[in-house]
Amino acid sequence: MHGAASGAGDAMRAAVTVALGVYIVGLVLAVLGNGSSGASALVRTIKSRLYAPWLVPAWLDLGHDHHLTYGLPEDADHTIELRATGGDAAAALRLPGRLTGERAARWRRLAAALAPAAVGDDPAVALTAAVAAGGFDDLATEDVTLRVLRRQLPDRRELPLPTGSSVVTSARVRRVGGELQLIKADPPGEVAPLVTPATPRPIADEATP
Amino acid sequence: MNGASATGGAEPPSTIEATWNRFWFTPADPGPLAIVRMLTAAVALVLLASYSADLDAWFGPGGMIPADPRAAWRAPFSWSLFDLTRSVGSLRLLFGITAVAMALLGVGLATPVVSVAAPILWASLLHRGPMLAGPADDCVAVLLWCLAIAPSGAAWSLDRWFTGRTAPPRPSVRGRIARGLMQVHATAISLATLLAQLKGDVWWDGTAAWWLAARADSRVVDLTSLFARSEYACNLVTHGITAFEGLFAVGIWFTTTQMPVARAGLVAWPFIGLCAGEPWWGVAMAIVCIPPACSR
Repeated sequence: MHGAASGAGDAMRAAVTVALGVYIVGLVLAVLGNGSSGASALVRTIKSRLYAPWLVPAWLDLGHDHHLTYGLPEDADHTIELRATGGDAAAALRLPGRLTGERAARWRRLAAALAPAAVGDDPAVALTAAVAAGGFDDLATEDVTLRVLRRQLPDRRELPLPTGSSVVTSARVRRVGGELQLIKADPPGEVAPLVTPATPRPIADEATP
Repeated sequence: MNGASATGGAEPPSTIEATWNRFWFTPADPGPLAIVRMLTAAVALVLLASYSADLDAWFGPGGMIPADPRAAWRAPFSWSLFDLTRSVGSLRLLFGITAVAMALLGVGLATPVVSVAAPILWASLLHRGPMLAGPADDCVAVLLWCLAIAPSGAAWSLDRWFTGRTAPPRPSVRGRIARGLMQVHATAISLATLLAQLKGDVWWDGTAAWWLAARADSRVVDLTSLFARSEYACNLVTHGITAFEGLFAVGIWFTTTQMPVARAGLVAWPFIGLCAGEPWWGVAMAIVCIPPACSR
């Protein structure tokens, strides 16, 4: 009796060991396959064929490569500005505006996800059109201009700290005959001249509602 | 893996086998997992609250992020229960169910059911708008799946209170497996973060802490005046972050260093989260440290 129970326990332990081994390999592949440096064809193939079908739905296909910052412009805070095309700048929606905490962080992540639209990144372009269209009701128009603004990252020796922003992406999105159209505005330019320590101008603060 | 040898067979188990069995199959006290369960649910509720005000604007009919699993920004195989909502009412109902599941998990009511439902609902929410998810959301997803494996309602729960059990909860192998998976994930997160950081010059020249502090909108504490005055302070924080991540990833695996490293993590991870403008990520990582910090 004891031997049978022990045998069943051993079988269960062996099954769990196999499951753990399979999962840990998947975790390693997820980390290797989701890094910012890219992944080899071998890793991508194994991960996408064997692991992605169950790791992705569970939100476990994660690279965890939170570099936090590289000190690059892309690491700066991003915001979204939506306004009726040709409309008053004062009536523009600015997101996250004065929101704080995790709610504001989610808007900033959304804004950062739109930034690659400037270089024609397909998911970012599609998302830009969707986000702008989402603002149609709030702005009571079906022709809006969306801009993604990027805060300046000041150098450590730069005092007082500048507060300017630059335009990363600018696009006009409109609905014509039921069809959504996105017209990229280029080239993206500065919102305001770069602020020098001698003449600080809080441009971004003016842009905050 | 020969389980017989680990249970008193003729041949002594190999060192690797014995270590593996001891790590994964030694029954563990469910008490620390109950603390993990309560804190994870609390963090999940805070993160859920950050969705609530903008739920309609993002995910509602005509919202900014349309429900389309084939959208360019969705990963292949991504699937979300929130894709099925077709009205503001159904969207809010499902969101409410998610919040209730987290609350029930927190208090430990119907734990066997909600501990499985919670990660499914959480993953569904994140898939609905993947670009909104941050590192804290990822860590909470990992913690919730680990809790789904564990008997997380065995201690400090309403389930236990309602059944009138007074004897101390029994150690369990499932709890040990959940704790082991948390440890594996904590190492993966710490190492992946460290390796990603070391690809950037700012983590080598000691200025990364400045670039984190210089983000005027997302920073939680303003350390710019300190770092502007003292380059050494900036360097110390930068190198301190990378040194701790490396120390944590290795030290969590050795008996002699596990507890001090885990206890240091209870303070260090929230500090890193504060510096990085990701305070809830720091808290989530600190939660992972609780079981090893409680081990004797």
